[in-house]
Amino acid sequence: MLGTEDFIREAEESISQKIPAPGKAVIACSGGVDSMVTAALASKAIGSRLLAVYVDNGLMRKGEDEEVEAMLKHMGINYRIVKAGPEFFDALENVEEPEHKRKIIGEKFIRVFEREAKEFGATFLLQGTIAPDWIESGDGIRDTIKSHHNVGGLPKDLGMTLVEPLRDLYKDEVRDVARALGVEASERQPFPGPALAIRCLGEVTPEKIAIVREACYIVEDEIMKSVKDGKDVRPWQYFAVLLPSKSVGVQGDRRAYGYTVAVRAVDSVDGMTATFSKLSISVLNKISVRITDTMKNQVNRVVYDITSKPPATIEWE
Amino acid sequence: MKVYVVDNGGQWTHREWRVLKYLKVETKIIPNTTPFEEITDLDGLVLSGGAPSIACEAGRMGFNAVYLDRATFPILGICAGMQVMCQHFGAQLGPADVPEFGEVDLTVSDHSGLFKELPDSFTVWGSHNDEVKAVPAGFKLTASSPSCKIEGVACLNRPLYGVQFHPEVENTQYGSEIFQNFLEIIKVQKQ
Repeated sequence: MLGTEDFIREAEESISQKIPAPGKAVIACSGGVDSMVTAALASKAIGSRLLAVYVDNGLMRKGEDEEVEAMLKHMGINYRIVKAGPEFFDALENVEEPEHKRKIIGEKFIRVFEREAKEFGATFLLQGTIAPDWIESGDGIRDTIKSHHNVGGLPKDLGMTLVEPLRDLYKDEVRDVARALGVEASERQPFPGPALAIRCLGEVTPEKIAIVREACYIVEDEIMKSVKDGKDVRPWQYFAVLLPSKSVGVQGDRRAYGYTVAVRAVDSVDGMTATFSKLSISVLNKISVRITDTMKNQVNRVVYDITSKPPATIEWE
Repeated sequence: MKVYVVDNGGQWTHREWRVLKYLKVETKIIPNTTPFEEITDLDGLVLSGGAPSIACEAGRMGFNAVYLDRATFPILGICAGMQVMCQHFGAQLGPADVPEFGEVDLTVSDHSGLFKELPDSFTVWGSHNDEVKAVPAGFKLTASSPSCKIEGVACLNRPLYGVQFHPEVENTQYGSEIFQNFLEIIKVQKQ
Protein backbone atom coordinates (compact mmCIF):
# COMPACT_ATOMS: atom_id res chain seq x y z
CA MET A 1 0.00 0.00 0.00
CA LEU A 2 1.04 3.54 -0.69
CA GLY A 3 2.04 5.30 2.55
CA THR A 4 0.94 2.77 5.17
CA GLU A 5 2.58 4.65 8.04
CA ASP A 6 0.97 7.93 6.97
CA PHE A 7 -2.39 6.23 6.78
CA ILE A 8 -2.04 4.83 10.31
CA ARG A 9 -1.06 8.23 11.74
CA GLU A 10 -3.87 10.05 9.95
CA ALA A 11 -6.48 7.43 10.85
CA GLU A 12 -5.58 7.60 14.54
CA GLU A 13 -5.74 11.40 14.49
CA SER A 14 -9.05 11.31 12.72
CA ILE A 15 -10.56 8.82 15.20
CA SER A 16 -9.36 10.94 18.14
CA GLN A 17 -10.94 14.02 16.60
CA LYS A 18 -14.21 12.34 15.73
CA ILE A 19 -14.58 10.73 19.17
CA PRO A 20 -13.41 13.44 21.58
CA ALA A 21 -13.06 12.63 25.30
CA PRO A 22 -15.03 11.66 27.26
CA GLY A 23 -16.96 10.17 24.31
CA LYS A 24 -17.14 6.41 24.13
CA ALA A 25 -17.44 4.05 21.18
CA VAL A 26 -18.28 0.46 20.45
CA ILE A 27 -16.52 -1.30 17.63
CA ALA A 28 -18.47 -3.92 15.73
CA CYS A 29 -15.97 -6.75 15.74
CA SER A 30 -16.36 -9.90 13.65
CA GLY A 31 -12.77 -10.99 14.12
CA GLY A 32 -11.99 -10.33 10.45
CA VAL A 33 -9.06 -8.23 9.35
CA ASP A 34 -11.17 -5.11 8.64
CA SER A 35 -12.79 -4.87 12.04
CA MET A 36 -9.66 -5.96 13.91
CA VAL A 37 -7.58 -3.26 12.20
CA THR A 38 -10.26 -0.71 13.02
CA ALA A 39 -10.23 -1.93 16.63
CA ALA A 40 -6.43 -1.66 16.78
CA LEU A 41 -6.45 1.88 15.37
CA ALA A 42 -9.28 2.94 17.67
CA SER A 43 -7.63 1.36 20.67
CA LYS A 44 -4.50 3.44 20.02
CA ALA A 45 -6.62 6.55 19.53
CA ILE A 46 -9.13 6.37 22.39
CA GLY A 47 -7.86 3.56 24.65
CA SER A 48 -10.31 2.41 27.30
CA ARG A 49 -13.13 4.53 25.87
CA LEU A 50 -13.49 1.71 23.35
CA LEU A 51 -15.53 -1.48 23.71
CA ALA A 52 -15.25 -4.27 21.14
CA VAL A 53 -18.46 -6.24 20.65
CA TYR A 54 -18.46 -9.65 18.98
CA VAL A 55 -21.85 -11.14 18.18
CA ASP A 56 -22.18 -14.90 18.37
CA ASN A 57 -25.07 -15.02 15.91
CA GLY A 58 -25.11 -18.79 15.47
CA LEU A 59 -23.93 -18.31 11.90
CA MET A 60 -20.17 -18.30 12.32
CA ARG A 61 -17.68 -20.94 11.19
CA LYS A 62 -16.44 -23.91 13.21
CA GLY A 63 -14.39 -22.76 16.18
CA GLU A 64 -14.71 -19.11 15.21
CA ASP A 65 -16.34 -17.83 18.40
CA GLU A 66 -13.43 -19.15 20.49
CA GLU A 67 -10.80 -18.01 18.00
CA VAL A 68 -12.08 -14.44 17.93
CA GLU A 69 -12.37 -14.26 21.70
CA ALA A 70 -8.74 -15.37 22.00
CA MET A 71 -7.65 -12.63 19.56
CA LEU A 72 -9.58 -9.97 21.46
CA LYS A 73 -7.98 -11.17 24.69
CA HIS A 74 -4.49 -10.95 23.19
CA MET A 75 -5.19 -7.41 22.04
CA GLY A 76 -5.86 -6.38 25.63
CA ILE A 77 -8.88 -4.23 24.81
CA ASN A 78 -12.32 -4.08 26.46
CA TYR A 79 -14.55 -6.60 24.78
CA ARG A 80 -17.89 -8.35 25.11
CA ILE A 81 -19.15 -11.51 23.47
CA VAL A 82 -22.89 -11.35 22.95
CA LYS A 83 -24.75 -14.61 22.44
CA ALA A 84 -27.63 -13.90 20.09
CA GLY A 85 -28.02 -17.04 17.97
CA PRO A 86 -31.73 -17.71 18.63
CA GLU A 87 -32.55 -14.05 17.96
CA PHE A 88 -30.96 -14.28 14.49
CA PHE A 89 -32.55 -17.62 13.58
CA ASP A 90 -36.00 -16.40 14.64
CA ALA A 91 -35.66 -13.31 12.48
CA LEU A 92 -34.55 -15.39 9.48
CA GLU A 93 -37.41 -17.87 9.62
CA ASN A 94 -39.15 -18.28 6.25
CA VAL A 95 -36.85 -15.74 4.59
CA GLU A 96 -35.40 -16.87 1.26
CA GLU A 97 -34.54 -13.75 -0.71
CA PRO A 98 -30.82 -12.86 -0.32
CA GLU A 99 -31.30 -9.10 0.00
CA HIS A 100 -34.03 -9.63 2.57
CA LYS A 101 -31.69 -11.90 4.56
CA ARG A 102 -28.89 -9.34 4.44
CA LYS A 103 -31.14 -6.50 5.61
CA ILE A 104 -32.55 -8.55 8.50
CA ILE A 105 -29.06 -9.54 9.63
CA GLY A 106 -27.79 -5.96 9.31
CA GLU A 107 -30.60 -4.71 11.49
CA LYS A 108 -30.17 -7.46 14.09
CA PHE A 109 -26.48 -6.61 14.39
CA ILE A 110 -27.30 -2.94 14.93
CA ARG A 111 -29.88 -3.67 17.60
CA VAL A 112 -27.29 -5.71 19.51
CA PHE A 113 -24.71 -2.93 19.15
CA GLU A 114 -27.25 -0.34 20.28
CA ARG A 115 -27.98 -2.34 23.44
CA GLU A 116 -24.30 -2.76 24.21
CA ALA A 117 -23.56 0.88 23.43
CA LYS A 118 -26.27 2.02 25.81
CA GLU A 119 -24.89 -0.11 28.60
CA PHE A 120 -21.32 1.10 27.97
CA GLY A 121 -22.47 4.70 27.55
CA ALA A 122 -21.23 4.94 23.97
CA THR A 123 -22.67 7.23 21.33
CA PHE A 124 -20.29 6.27 18.54
CA LEU A 125 -20.23 3.12 16.44
CA LEU A 126 -16.95 2.17 14.77
CA GLN A 127 -17.12 -0.17 11.81
CA GLY A 128 -14.46 -1.74 9.62
CA THR A 129 -16.31 -0.79 6.45
CA ILE A 130 -14.03 -0.91 3.39
CA ALA A 131 -14.52 0.35 -0.16
CA PRO A 132 -16.23 -2.71 -1.69
CA ASP A 133 -18.83 -2.66 1.13
CA TRP A 134 -20.24 0.75 0.22
CA ILE A 135 -19.59 0.38 -3.50
CA GLU A 136 -21.58 -2.85 -3.77
CA SER A 137 -24.29 -1.66 -1.37
CA GLY A 138 -25.21 1.02 -3.93
CA ASP A 139 -26.22 4.65 -3.50
CA GLY A 140 -27.92 7.41 -5.47
CA ILE A 141 -26.05 6.64 -8.67
CA ARG A 142 -24.70 3.14 -8.12
CA ASP A 143 -26.72 -0.05 -8.48
CA THR A 144 -27.06 -2.27 -5.42
CA ILE A 145 -25.15 -5.46 -6.14
CA LYS A 146 -25.62 -6.70 -2.60
CA SER A 147 -26.38 -4.87 0.64
CA HIS A 148 -23.37 -5.31 2.88
CA HIS A 149 -24.75 -5.63 6.39
CA ASN A 150 -22.66 -2.74 7.69
CA VAL A 151 -23.84 -0.29 5.00
CA GLY A 152 -27.01 -1.31 3.17
CA GLY A 153 -28.25 -3.18 6.23
CA LEU A 154 -28.09 -0.14 8.52
CA PRO A 155 -31.50 0.98 9.78
CA LYS A 156 -32.53 4.56 9.05
CA ASP A 157 -33.04 5.28 12.75
CA LEU A 158 -29.47 4.46 13.81
CA GLY A 159 -29.03 6.29 17.08
CA MET A 160 -25.22 6.42 17.01
CA THR A 161 -22.62 8.36 15.05
CA LEU A 162 -20.82 6.14 12.58
CA VAL A 163 -17.03 6.24 12.33
CA GLU A 164 -15.47 4.25 9.51
CA PRO A 165 -11.73 4.88 9.12
CA LEU A 166 -11.12 2.27 6.39
CA ARG A 167 -13.76 3.41 3.88
CA ASP A 168 -11.25 4.16 1.12
CA LEU A 169 -9.22 0.96 1.49
CA TYR A 170 -9.45 -2.41 -0.21
CA LYS A 171 -8.59 -5.73 1.43
CA ASP A 172 -4.97 -5.80 0.22
CA GLU A 173 -4.40 -2.37 1.73
CA VAL A 174 -6.11 -3.31 5.01
CA ARG A 175 -3.77 -6.31 5.24
CA ASP A 176 -0.76 -4.01 4.80
CA VAL A 177 -2.04 -1.85 7.66
CA ALA A 178 -2.74 -4.99 9.73
CA ARG A 179 0.82 -6.25 9.22
CA ALA A 180 2.27 -2.87 10.13
CA LEU A 181 0.20 -2.82 13.33
CA GLY A 182 0.92 -6.47 14.16
CA VAL A 183 -2.78 -7.36 14.06
CA GLU A 184 -3.20 -11.11 14.52
CA ALA A 185 -6.05 -11.33 12.00
CA SER A 186 -3.89 -9.94 9.17
CA GLU A 187 -3.94 -13.12 7.07
CA ARG A 188 -7.45 -14.38 7.84
CA GLN A 189 -9.47 -14.98 4.71
CA PRO A 190 -12.41 -12.67 4.03
CA PHE A 191 -15.68 -13.78 5.60
CA PRO A 192 -18.96 -12.00 4.92
CA GLY A 193 -20.83 -10.14 7.67
CA PRO A 194 -24.05 -12.16 7.19
CA ALA A 195 -21.77 -15.15 7.72
CA LEU A 196 -22.97 -18.65 6.81
CA ALA A 197 -26.52 -17.36 6.27
CA ILE A 198 -25.58 -16.33 2.73
CA ARG A 199 -23.75 -19.61 2.07
CA CYS A 200 -26.98 -21.46 2.71
CA LEU A 201 -29.11 -20.61 -0.32
CA GLY A 202 -32.79 -20.23 0.41
CA GLU A 203 -34.16 -20.45 3.92
CA VAL A 204 -31.70 -20.50 6.79
CA THR A 205 -32.25 -23.13 9.48
CA PRO A 206 -29.94 -24.32 12.27
CA GLU A 207 -29.76 -27.73 10.53
CA LYS A 208 -28.70 -26.25 7.19
CA ILE A 209 -26.19 -23.95 8.87
CA ALA A 210 -24.67 -27.01 10.57
CA ILE A 211 -24.26 -28.68 7.16
CA VAL A 212 -22.62 -25.69 5.49
CA ARG A 213 -20.46 -25.04 8.56
CA GLU A 214 -19.01 -28.57 8.37
CA ALA A 215 -18.58 -28.37 4.59
CA CYS A 216 -16.78 -25.00 4.90
CA TYR A 217 -14.53 -26.50 7.54
CA ILE A 218 -13.61 -29.42 5.28
CA VAL A 219 -12.89 -27.10 2.33
CA GLU A 220 -10.68 -24.86 4.46
CA ASP A 221 -8.92 -27.78 6.13
CA GLU A 222 -8.15 -29.70 2.94
CA ILE A 223 -6.99 -26.61 1.05
CA MET A 224 -4.70 -25.51 3.89
CA LYS A 225 -3.22 -29.03 4.15
CA SER A 226 -2.54 -29.00 0.42
CA VAL A 227 -1.01 -25.51 0.65
CA LYS A 228 1.24 -26.71 3.46
CA ASP A 229 2.34 -29.65 1.32
CA GLY A 230 3.21 -27.24 -1.48
CA LYS A 231 0.59 -28.71 -3.82
CA ASP A 232 -1.62 -25.63 -3.99
CA VAL A 233 -1.28 -21.89 -3.63
CA ARG A 234 -3.53 -20.45 -0.94
CA PRO A 235 -6.53 -18.84 -2.66
CA TRP A 236 -7.77 -15.39 -1.67
CA GLN A 237 -11.01 -16.91 -0.36
CA TYR A 238 -12.27 -20.50 -0.22
CA PHE A 239 -15.46 -21.98 1.14
CA ALA A 240 -18.52 -24.16 0.57
CA VAL A 241 -22.05 -23.20 -0.37
CA LEU A 242 -25.10 -25.34 0.38
CA LEU A 243 -27.46 -25.39 -2.58
CA PRO A 244 -31.20 -25.70 -1.98
CA SER A 245 -31.77 -28.44 -4.54
CA LYS A 246 -31.45 -32.18 -4.05
CA SER A 247 -30.19 -34.81 -6.45
CA VAL A 248 -30.04 -38.58 -6.71
CA GLY A 249 -27.05 -40.66 -5.70
CA VAL A 250 -26.09 -44.19 -4.79
CA GLN A 251 -24.48 -45.04 -1.45
CA GLY A 252 -23.64 -48.66 -0.59
CA ASP A 253 -26.12 -50.05 -3.12
CA ARG A 254 -28.85 -47.84 -1.71
CA ARG A 255 -30.54 -44.92 -3.40
CA ALA A 256 -29.60 -41.56 -1.93
CA TYR A 257 -31.35 -38.25 -2.35
CA GLY A 258 -29.34 -35.42 -0.83
CA TYR A 259 -28.06 -31.89 -1.08
CA THR A 260 -25.35 -30.53 -3.36
CA VAL A 261 -22.43 -28.55 -1.99
CA ALA A 262 -20.64 -26.08 -4.26
CA VAL A 263 -16.98 -25.43 -3.56
CA ARG A 264 -15.83 -21.88 -4.30
CA ALA A 265 -12.21 -20.74 -4.28
CA VAL A 266 -11.08 -17.50 -5.90
CA ASP A 267 -7.96 -15.47 -6.47
CA SER A 268 -8.22 -11.72 -6.09
CA VAL A 269 -6.37 -8.67 -4.84
CA ASP A 270 -9.14 -6.31 -3.87
CA GLY A 271 -12.34 -8.36 -4.07
CA MET A 272 -13.66 -6.20 -6.91
CA THR A 273 -12.58 -8.65 -9.60
CA ALA A 274 -11.74 -12.32 -9.06
CA THR A 275 -10.93 -15.47 -10.97
CA PHE A 276 -11.73 -18.98 -9.83
CA SER A 277 -8.67 -20.67 -8.34
CA LYS A 278 -6.97 -23.33 -10.40
CA LEU A 279 -6.86 -25.76 -7.49
CA SER A 280 -5.17 -29.12 -7.97
CA ILE A 281 -7.42 -32.01 -8.94
CA SER A 282 -6.05 -33.90 -5.96
CA VAL A 283 -7.32 -31.36 -3.43
CA LEU A 284 -10.70 -31.12 -5.18
CA ASN A 285 -10.90 -34.89 -5.02
CA LYS A 286 -10.06 -34.95 -1.31
CA ILE A 287 -12.68 -32.31 -0.56
CA SER A 288 -15.31 -34.19 -2.54
CA VAL A 289 -14.65 -37.59 -0.97
CA ARG A 290 -14.42 -36.25 2.57
CA ILE A 291 -17.65 -34.24 2.31
CA THR A 292 -19.68 -37.04 0.75
CA ASP A 293 -18.28 -39.71 3.12
CA THR A 294 -18.46 -37.86 6.41
CA MET A 295 -21.71 -36.04 5.59
CA LYS A 296 -23.45 -38.90 3.78
CA ASN A 297 -26.84 -38.25 5.33
CA GLN A 298 -26.96 -34.72 4.01
CA VAL A 299 -24.73 -34.36 0.95
CA ASN A 300 -24.24 -36.70 -2.01
CA ARG A 301 -22.85 -34.33 -4.64
CA VAL A 302 -20.03 -31.77 -4.75
CA VAL A 303 -19.41 -29.30 -7.60
CA TYR A 304 -16.70 -26.69 -8.21
CA ASP A 305 -17.65 -23.15 -9.20
CA ILE A 306 -15.64 -22.02 -12.24
CA THR A 307 -17.03 -18.48 -12.64
CA SER A 308 -15.11 -15.22 -12.39
CA LYS A 309 -16.28 -11.96 -10.85
CA PRO A 310 -17.75 -10.45 -12.97
CA PRO A 311 -20.15 -11.89 -14.02
CA ALA A 312 -20.59 -13.81 -10.72
CA THR A 313 -19.81 -12.38 -7.30
CA ILE A 314 -17.51 -14.24 -4.90
CA GLU A 315 -20.24 -15.26 -2.46
CA TRP A 316 -23.42 -16.73 -3.97
CA GLU A 317 -25.93 -14.40 -2.30
CA MET B 1 -0.94 17.13 -11.76
CA LYS B 2 -4.66 17.20 -11.04
CA VAL B 3 -6.87 14.54 -12.62
CA TYR B 4 -10.38 13.96 -11.28
CA VAL B 5 -12.72 11.03 -11.79
CA VAL B 6 -16.32 11.72 -12.77
CA ASP B 7 -18.58 9.22 -11.01
CA ASN B 8 -21.13 7.70 -13.36
CA GLY B 9 -21.99 5.04 -10.79
CA GLY B 10 -19.49 2.36 -11.75
CA GLN B 11 -18.43 -0.51 -9.54
CA TRP B 12 -14.84 0.44 -10.31
CA THR B 13 -15.00 4.26 -10.17
CA HIS B 14 -13.16 4.14 -6.85
CA ARG B 15 -10.56 1.81 -8.38
CA GLU B 16 -9.82 4.50 -11.00
CA TRP B 17 -9.28 6.91 -8.11
CA ARG B 18 -6.95 4.36 -6.48
CA VAL B 19 -4.86 3.86 -9.64
CA LEU B 20 -4.44 7.63 -10.06
CA LYS B 21 -3.56 7.99 -6.36
CA TYR B 22 -0.92 5.26 -6.70
CA LEU B 23 0.50 7.14 -9.71
CA LYS B 24 0.92 10.15 -7.35
CA VAL B 25 -1.65 12.29 -9.06
CA GLU B 26 -3.85 14.73 -7.14
CA THR B 27 -7.24 13.13 -7.58
CA LYS B 28 -10.80 13.14 -6.33
CA ILE B 29 -14.09 11.49 -7.25
CA ILE B 30 -16.70 14.06 -8.27
CA PRO B 31 -20.43 13.63 -9.01
CA ASN B 32 -21.34 13.79 -12.69
CA THR B 33 -23.55 16.75 -11.82
CA THR B 34 -20.54 18.91 -10.88
CA PRO B 35 -20.76 22.21 -12.86
CA PHE B 36 -17.96 22.55 -15.41
CA GLU B 37 -17.02 25.95 -13.89
CA GLU B 38 -15.80 24.07 -10.77
CA ILE B 39 -13.33 21.92 -12.66
CA THR B 40 -11.77 24.31 -15.17
CA ASP B 41 -8.39 24.12 -13.39
CA LEU B 42 -7.97 20.36 -13.96
CA ASP B 43 -5.18 18.86 -16.04
CA GLY B 44 -7.25 15.86 -17.07
CA LEU B 45 -10.49 14.03 -16.43
CA VAL B 46 -11.59 10.40 -16.32
CA LEU B 47 -15.24 9.59 -17.09
CA SER B 48 -16.05 6.43 -15.17
CA GLY B 49 -18.27 3.56 -16.16
CA GLY B 50 -21.69 3.06 -14.68
CA ALA B 51 -24.85 1.02 -14.66
CA PRO B 52 -26.99 3.30 -16.87
CA SER B 53 -27.74 2.15 -20.37
CA ILE B 54 -26.80 5.41 -22.01
CA ALA B 55 -28.95 4.81 -25.06
CA CYS B 56 -32.10 4.84 -22.90
CA GLU B 57 -31.06 6.41 -19.58
CA ALA B 58 -29.11 9.45 -20.77
CA GLY B 59 -30.62 11.47 -17.90
CA ARG B 60 -28.40 9.62 -15.41
CA MET B 61 -25.22 10.73 -17.17
CA GLY B 62 -25.27 14.28 -15.74
CA PHE B 63 -22.90 16.80 -17.33
CA ASN B 64 -20.59 14.36 -19.14
CA ALA B 65 -21.58 15.97 -22.46
CA VAL B 66 -20.74 19.43 -21.14
CA TYR B 67 -17.28 18.29 -20.06
CA LEU B 68 -16.75 16.77 -23.50
CA ASP B 69 -17.77 20.00 -25.24
CA ARG B 70 -15.94 22.50 -23.07
CA ALA B 71 -12.81 20.84 -21.72
CA THR B 72 -9.47 21.77 -23.23
CA PHE B 73 -7.67 19.21 -21.02
CA PRO B 74 -7.48 15.52 -22.00
CA ILE B 75 -10.41 13.22 -21.17
CA LEU B 76 -10.37 9.44 -20.81
CA GLY B 77 -13.78 7.77 -21.02
CA ILE B 78 -14.01 4.26 -19.57
CA CYS B 79 -16.86 1.83 -20.43
CA ALA B 80 -20.04 3.95 -20.11
CA GLY B 81 -17.64 6.92 -20.18
CA MET B 82 -16.48 5.91 -23.66
CA GLN B 83 -20.05 5.20 -24.73
CA VAL B 84 -21.26 8.65 -23.70
CA MET B 85 -18.28 10.17 -25.53
CA CYS B 86 -19.02 8.29 -28.75
CA GLN B 87 -22.75 8.96 -28.60
CA HIS B 88 -22.14 12.65 -27.98
CA PHE B 89 -20.07 12.85 -31.15
CA GLY B 90 -22.65 11.06 -33.26
CA ALA B 91 -22.22 7.29 -32.84
CA GLN B 92 -25.06 4.85 -32.29
CA LEU B 93 -25.12 2.77 -29.10
CA GLY B 94 -27.07 -0.40 -28.52
CA PRO B 95 -27.13 -3.71 -26.70
CA ALA B 96 -23.96 -5.66 -27.45
CA ASP B 97 -24.35 -8.60 -29.83
CA VAL B 98 -22.21 -10.52 -27.34
CA PRO B 99 -21.74 -8.78 -23.97
CA GLU B 100 -18.41 -9.20 -22.18
CA PHE B 101 -18.05 -9.92 -18.46
CA GLY B 102 -14.56 -10.67 -17.26
CA GLU B 103 -11.73 -11.76 -19.51
CA VAL B 104 -11.45 -10.19 -22.99
CA ASP B 105 -8.73 -10.72 -25.64
CA LEU B 106 -7.75 -7.24 -26.77
CA THR B 107 -6.12 -6.45 -30.10
CA VAL B 108 -4.51 -3.03 -30.36
CA SER B 109 -4.62 -1.34 -33.77
CA ASP B 110 -3.14 2.03 -32.82
CA HIS B 111 -0.12 2.43 -30.59
CA SER B 112 0.09 6.22 -30.65
CA GLY B 113 -1.89 7.24 -27.56
CA LEU B 114 -3.13 5.12 -24.65
CA PHE B 115 -1.46 1.98 -26.03
CA LYS B 116 1.98 3.49 -26.60
CA GLU B 117 4.71 0.85 -26.30
CA LEU B 118 2.20 -1.84 -25.29
CA PRO B 119 1.92 -5.25 -27.03
CA ASP B 120 -0.31 -5.81 -30.07
CA SER B 121 -2.57 -8.07 -28.05
CA PHE B 122 -3.11 -8.71 -24.35
CA THR B 123 -5.81 -9.65 -21.83
CA VAL B 124 -8.12 -7.06 -20.37
CA TRP B 125 -11.34 -7.24 -18.34
CA GLY B 126 -14.65 -5.84 -19.41
CA SER B 127 -18.14 -5.67 -17.93
CA HIS B 128 -20.68 -4.24 -20.34
CA ASN B 129 -24.13 -4.94 -21.71
CA ASP B 130 -24.10 -2.19 -24.36
CA GLU B 131 -21.59 -1.26 -27.01
CA VAL B 132 -20.69 1.47 -29.47
CA LYS B 133 -21.96 0.44 -32.91
CA ALA B 134 -19.71 2.63 -35.10
CA VAL B 135 -16.67 4.87 -34.60
CA PRO B 136 -17.95 8.47 -34.58
CA ALA B 137 -16.81 10.91 -37.28
CA GLY B 138 -13.56 12.57 -36.29
CA PHE B 139 -12.44 9.57 -34.21
CA LYS B 140 -10.31 6.54 -35.00
CA LEU B 141 -10.45 2.98 -33.77
CA THR B 142 -7.56 2.04 -31.45
CA ALA B 143 -8.47 -1.45 -30.20
CA SER B 144 -10.98 -4.26 -30.63
CA SER B 145 -11.85 -7.75 -29.36
CA PRO B 146 -13.44 -10.81 -30.98
CA SER B 147 -16.84 -9.99 -29.44
CA CYS B 148 -16.66 -6.21 -29.48
CA LYS B 149 -15.36 -4.35 -32.52
CA ILE B 150 -14.96 -1.02 -30.74
CA GLU B 151 -12.87 -1.50 -27.60
CA GLY B 152 -10.90 1.73 -27.96
CA VAL B 153 -11.24 5.08 -29.72
CA ALA B 154 -9.28 8.32 -29.97
CA CYS B 155 -10.36 11.71 -31.29
CA LEU B 156 -8.34 12.94 -34.28
CA ASN B 157 -8.06 16.61 -33.35
CA ARG B 158 -8.67 16.78 -29.58
CA PRO B 159 -7.15 14.80 -26.64
CA LEU B 160 -10.22 12.61 -26.10
CA TYR B 161 -9.74 8.88 -25.56
CA GLY B 162 -12.10 6.04 -24.79
CA VAL B 163 -11.83 2.39 -23.82
CA GLN B 164 -14.71 -0.05 -23.53
CA PHE B 165 -12.75 -2.30 -21.14
CA HIS B 166 -11.51 -1.42 -17.66
CA PRO B 167 -7.82 -0.52 -17.30
CA GLU B 168 -8.34 0.17 -13.57
CA VAL B 169 -8.97 -3.42 -12.44
CA GLU B 170 -6.26 -5.80 -11.27
CA ASN B 171 -6.96 -8.45 -13.90
CA THR B 172 -6.40 -6.13 -16.85
CA GLN B 173 -2.84 -6.49 -18.10
CA TYR B 174 -0.96 -3.18 -18.57
CA GLY B 175 -3.80 -1.29 -16.86
CA SER B 176 -1.46 0.96 -14.94
CA GLU B 177 0.57 1.56 -18.14
CA ILE B 178 -2.57 2.72 -19.95
CA PHE B 179 -3.17 5.26 -17.17
CA GLN B 180 0.49 6.29 -17.33
CA ASN B 181 0.17 6.86 -21.07
CA PHE B 182 -2.88 9.02 -20.38
CA LEU B 183 -0.83 11.02 -17.87
CA GLU B 184 1.91 11.38 -20.53
CA ILE B 185 -0.67 12.77 -22.93
CA ILE B 186 -1.66 15.26 -20.23
CA LYS B 187 1.98 16.28 -19.70
CA VAL B 188 2.49 16.91 -23.41
CA GLN B 189 -0.76 18.85 -23.55
CA LYS B 190 0.36 21.10 -20.66
CA GLN B 191 3.60 22.10 -22.40
